[in-house]
Amino acid sequence: MIAVLVMAGTLCHLAGSGAMIQSRPPETTALDIPGPVPTERPQGPRCIRQRILASVLLLAGCEGPQSALVPAGVDAQALHLLFTTMLGGAIVLWLLMNGFIYWFSHRHPAAFSEIAARWLIVLGGVVTPAIMVGALLVWGLTLLPDQRIAGNGLRIRVHGEQWWWRVAYQPPGTSGPIISANEIRLPAGRRTEFILTSDRVIHSFWIPALGGKMDMFPGRETRMSLQPETPGRYRGQCAEFCGASHAWMAFEAVVMPPEEFDAWLKAEAKDARPPQQDSARKGQQIFRREGCGACHTLRGTEAVAQVGPDLTHIGNRHSIGAGRLGATLDDIALWVRHTGDLKPEVHMPAFPHLEPAELRDLASYLKGLK
Amino acid sequence: MIFRKPTPIRRPAPEGPYPPTRAMLDEPVPERLRAVQAARLRKAWESPKGWRYWSAVNNTEVGKWYTVTAFFFMLCAGLLALLIRLQLAVPENELVPADRFNQLFTMHGSAMMFLFAVPIFEAISILLLPGLLGARDIPFPRLSAFGYWCFLIGGVFVLGSVLFDAAPRAGWFMYPPLATEDEGPGSDIWLLGLSFIEVASIAAAVELIVGVLKCRPPGMRVNLMPLYAWYVLVVGGMILFAFPPLIAGDFLFELERSFDWPFFDPERGGDPMLWQHLFWIFGHPEVYIVFLPSIAIAAMIVPTVAQRPILGYSWIVLSAVGTGFLSFGLWVHHMYTTGLPAMSLGFFSAASEAVVIPTGVQIFAFLATLIAGRIRMILPMLWIAGALAIFTAGGLTGIMLALAPFDFQAHDTYFIVAHLHYTLFGGMVLPVIAGIYYFYPFITKKMLSERLGRRAFWLIFIGFNITFLPMHYTGLMGMPRRVFTYPEGLGWEIPNLISSLGAAVIAAGFAVFLWDLIRSKGDQPQIERNPWNAGTLEWAHDVPEENWGMRSIPHVTTRYPLWDTPGFLDRVDTGRFYLPDAPEGRRETLVTSVIDAEPVLVQRVNTPTWITHLAAIFAGGAFIFPTFHLYTPAIVSGLLAVAAILWWLWTSTAWPPEADSKDAGLGLRLPIYVSGPDSVGWWAVWITMLGDATAFASLTFGFFFYWTAQPDFPPSEALHAGAGTVGLACAGFAAGWALTVAARQMNRHACVGMARAGLALAALATAGGIAAMIVAVRPLDPTSHVYPAVIWALAVWICAHAATGIIMQLYCLAGSLFGKLTPRYDADLWNISLFWHFFMLSALVACALMGPAARML
Amino acid sequence: MTNQEHEPLPDEERREFSAETGSLWRLTLTPLTWAMHLVLCYATISLACARQLFPVEVARLGLIGASVLALGFICWQGWRAVRQWNVLTTGVLTHPNGKAEDRHRFLGHAATLIAVISAIGTVYTTLPLLLLEGCR
Repeated sequence: MIAVLVMAGTLCHLAGSGAMIQSRPPETTALDIPGPVPTERPQGPRCIRQRILASVLLLAGCEGPQSALVPAGVDAQALHLLFTTMLGGAIVLWLLMNGFIYWFSHRHPAAFSEIAARWLIVLGGVVTPAIMVGALLVWGLTLLPDQRIAGNGLRIRVHGEQWWWRVAYQPPGTSGPIISANEIRLPAGRRTEFILTSDRVIHSFWIPALGGKMDMFPGRETRMSLQPETPGRYRGQCAEFCGASHAWMAFEAVVMPPEEFDAWLKAEAKDARPPQQDSARKGQQIFRREGCGACHTLRGTEAVAQVGPDLTHIGNRHSIGAGRLGATLDDIALWVRHTGDLKPEVHMPAFPHLEPAELRDLASYLKGLK
Repeated sequence: MIFRKPTPIRRPAPEGPYPPTRAMLDEPVPERLRAVQAARLRKAWESPKGWRYWSAVNNTEVGKWYTVTAFFFMLCAGLLALLIRLQLAVPENELVPADRFNQLFTMHGSAMMFLFAVPIFEAISILLLPGLLGARDIPFPRLSAFGYWCFLIGGVFVLGSVLFDAAPRAGWFMYPPLATEDEGPGSDIWLLGLSFIEVASIAAAVELIVGVLKCRPPGMRVNLMPLYAWYVLVVGGMILFAFPPLIAGDFLFELERSFDWPFFDPERGGDPMLWQHLFWIFGHPEVYIVFLPSIAIAAMIVPTVAQRPILGYSWIVLSAVGTGFLSFGLWVHHMYTTGLPAMSLGFFSAASEAVVIPTGVQIFAFLATLIAGRIRMILPMLWIAGALAIFTAGGLTGIMLALAPFDFQAHDTYFIVAHLHYTLFGGMVLPVIAGIYYFYPFITKKMLSERLGRRAFWLIFIGFNITFLPMHYTGLMGMPRRVFTYPEGLGWEIPNLISSLGAAVIAAGFAVFLWDLIRSKGDQPQIERNPWNAGTLEWAHDVPEENWGMRSIPHVTTRYPLWDTPGFLDRVDTGRFYLPDAPEGRRETLVTSVIDAEPVLVQRVNTPTWITHLAAIFAGGAFIFPTFHLYTPAIVSGLLAVAAILWWLWTSTAWPPEADSKDAGLGLRLPIYVSGPDSVGWWAVWITMLGDATAFASLTFGFFFYWTAQPDFPPSEALHAGAGTVGLACAGFAAGWALTVAARQMNRHACVGMARAGLALAALATAGGIAAMIVAVRPLDPTSHVYPAVIWALAVWICAHAATGIIMQLYCLAGSLFGKLTPRYDADLWNISLFWHFFMLSALVACALMGPAARML
Repeated sequence: MTNQEHEPLPDEERREFSAETGSLWRLTLTPLTWAMHLVLCYATISLACARQLFPVEVARLGLIGASVLALGFICWQGWRAVRQWNVLTTGVLTHPNGKAEDRHRFLGHAATLIAVISAIGTVYTTLPLLLLEGCR
């Protein structure tokens, strides 16, 4: 009986966790994007089959844009090593303990004298765990300060809202912050410090591929720092339950080679680009007519409100609605028309009265804001 | 004034031979006497019939209702979990809308914790403890009945809210500001409904602690106690210190929600972190409160299975006590990601790792016992073995999570969901089911089905691993907890689908188990008396069932009397031991001393009544009306509850008995009435007040928390409570205390008139104190800033206690006037002066905080 | 476990191992020491880092001193418990009988073990003081 039980448990344990160890991530090269980033809905059975196949592969592997098992930064790497070591130890210990009870209860019952059994309590219950856990504790404690080293370069203020992110870049030696939203770009190989705050409720800032998380409080500042190594696109998500649309409070974290990052940041500091094509010009008029500027900022235009996300360079982002949708024209149109359906209780109103053509114009205006 | 020379009144002490000699125990009891005694005993303990059955207070009835109710709530919470799994089976599912989903997981967690995990411990303990201790009943049967009815009312209220789409939806941890700002009654239902249940939980804990300390059979010294009793003691103590911080937190929280006092509002100096501290100071011990009783069940099953005494009895006791302590030093590991200094995290990381050791000792003591004996793989053991396999896996992930850096990644992800379910299924659900299989014959005198039991086990065990093992992986793949849906493409689809399928298998397992429980067993013969051949006292039960618990209360000299003491059952059955008779037709049980269980007293316990129902209904009203902001009905209901409780106490407790002492059997004469530390009532007050003091300490912790965390607390220009009036209040309370204690002494020395005058004056002085305190805080506006709000909260707390103190003083005064309280029979006065000692201490602290401390800090 | 009922205890034994109302509380003494130490550490670091009452390095050194004191106290209590357990002279490990002496030694045994756990806990709590510094 116990045999089956132990076997069952062990197999499960190995099947689930062994997979994680075996599949160390393949070496990723620069700008190699790990895993698919959700952009569009699948269409047709064939696509679904592909998806399922992809998922099976994902299960066997550990890749995914939000996976802590494929570290892409110094901090995540340290924690990954800690985890895999502990996992290995845990599996061995689990097998030892449960195998032990099975062996001596079924194969060799009453093989133990009372004195030997007493020693088992002393050694198994006190001595061994005290030493092992003590050693583990020392390891864990020495890792602790690394996750909080103060950055000496770039600082990013991230302010949690229900359910999106205000982002302000403060590169060293510049005066004002560079405002953005819902996407965080980081230079590879440098340590960036995050200063985290929140508006009304508690959120938590987390990019699994780069490192651990930190809560964001109203009325209190918390800090953490990350040092990403592998350029690529990763997904971050709010980890602290924050209300109806907690599930849809995500963002994209883009790690770039340092030079590219510097160039991008310079561009990001600029004002919004005026519309180039006809449809975009029409879109701009719709933007004005519908009063979008009452909530959103487009630097360099009359739209300066700060209720919602800054849209000055929304055309550069890979997702909209705080990671809710991709950033295609269709996605933008879908979002504007169906905000509440896509994101329950979101503060931005839906604009169901806009004609499809109007939506397309608006989308192409926004998409053009590079 | 002339003082009469004190004339202490003689109080009877136990008289007669103790412990009983072999010769005394060997002497046969005449057949006819036996029959007459049994008949009288049966009559005294008869359960009410027909609809009056529901007025029963006997532990066997109340325990059964309690267990069934808690189990029912568990099934409901399980259904909510199934809905959760259904929603998460596929990405972007639209089955359950976000708001509903948030209600579902909030209620799943809250109900499992507050309506199942803790109550089932109390239910099973109420049901089993008297049997384990060879007692007739627990010391305060009406209190446990009251607790049960409160639990039922509160549980139905809280859980019922799901049906009206009005359930709490901010998570079972209710973090402000999300929960404070939440619109609708959800958060209030959580706060008030569960506070109500927590009060009932504390009542049960008090009762169980007193039961273990004072109601053991003669001779059962602390080193002979069944391990279950040790665990009850430890867990009861933990409830006593863990629940009050939450109650204090609830108190502040509800003040913020109802009256806008900004305890957790950062804009007015408040701090949401205070709630996190108070909640987790409760929340982590809670985990062990849930876990230890299940270990206790295993500790009863393992020796029976191995057919040998437990190995490492002292080790297990030490682990229970050690775990109880350590569990209070872990709370910050739920707050690793809140940005506390690394060193602070380090302390709690250390404590979280240290708790591994006592937990491991318990597991290894079981292993040692099993391998040193010969295991019979009976059905309960199968469940225990499964529990061990699952729990060790959960424990090992617990060791990982206790390390703060790893928790930075895993915190609030499905890895945690997996971990906590591994610990709770392995450390609670499976052992409890094992316990149900093991004790079912004790409770119903029938057996559950071996075949169905094995099927249920394998379904639940396999289903569990299918559901929760992949969740470790899902979590590390980045899936946060409490998301109502998720996008595809993140690698979460397959593991979520597997988990959902597994949940269906678990549900099937529970369905089999449930069927086994409820199917008719009318045609099945009654069991033999000790079906597992266990060695502990509870298996001396009577088959067919008798309500008296034990035919006679045995003298115990070993841990396993049924194995070790020849002729033991015969002596119990023939009424050779103590209290074999009920000549006055009263329900009685034996009270013994704390360490060595020497007989002290014959305790009269209470009979069926409806007053507990009334008290529970009115108390329920006092908690439930405020959720809908109906304050007048709430106050009326509260006053009626107080009246009902006073009526209950007045009519049925501490009346002078018809004689000073009575024959307890085996030549021993024991008093029937004692007061002070020998009595169970005094212990109950002592223990209750310990919990009350803990709640007050949590409030003062709040004061110092703000002072530490906020640079300007108290604000430099803040208006303080009037120094003179606070001093006056303090003087009033001090006078009330001194006069109460003096009244007790005078009454004891037969100066009845002076005692009455003292009580009357004490009530007046206390009332003066209340008035002064109200005047002191009147100028402060509690909605303006957290500082005046804290001062007001302290004042409200102290005044409410002072008012309770006045009621007690007047109750004793009335008792003295109407002959309930005399110089000889003065238990009430002893009990209230104990309350007053504790109250005086908290009043002093509160006044010091409101007066000098607030000005100096 | 093969204990037979015994005759009433001689008065001598009763006196020697008289009911120790205090000994249940003594069981809690060493874990309480651990708890006080933990609370002291946490509170002191909070006062140093959040309230900035004193420099954190001073706090750290003071707390290391407090750890030594706490450990010393636990060891002393543990030694008393070992003496009460009296295993070295009697060689008896278990105390399953209903005699006062059994109860006396049992409480000593449990107190010894709990002192060991408390000592390990206190050493663990001291580790962060030794390994970490500053308020970050």
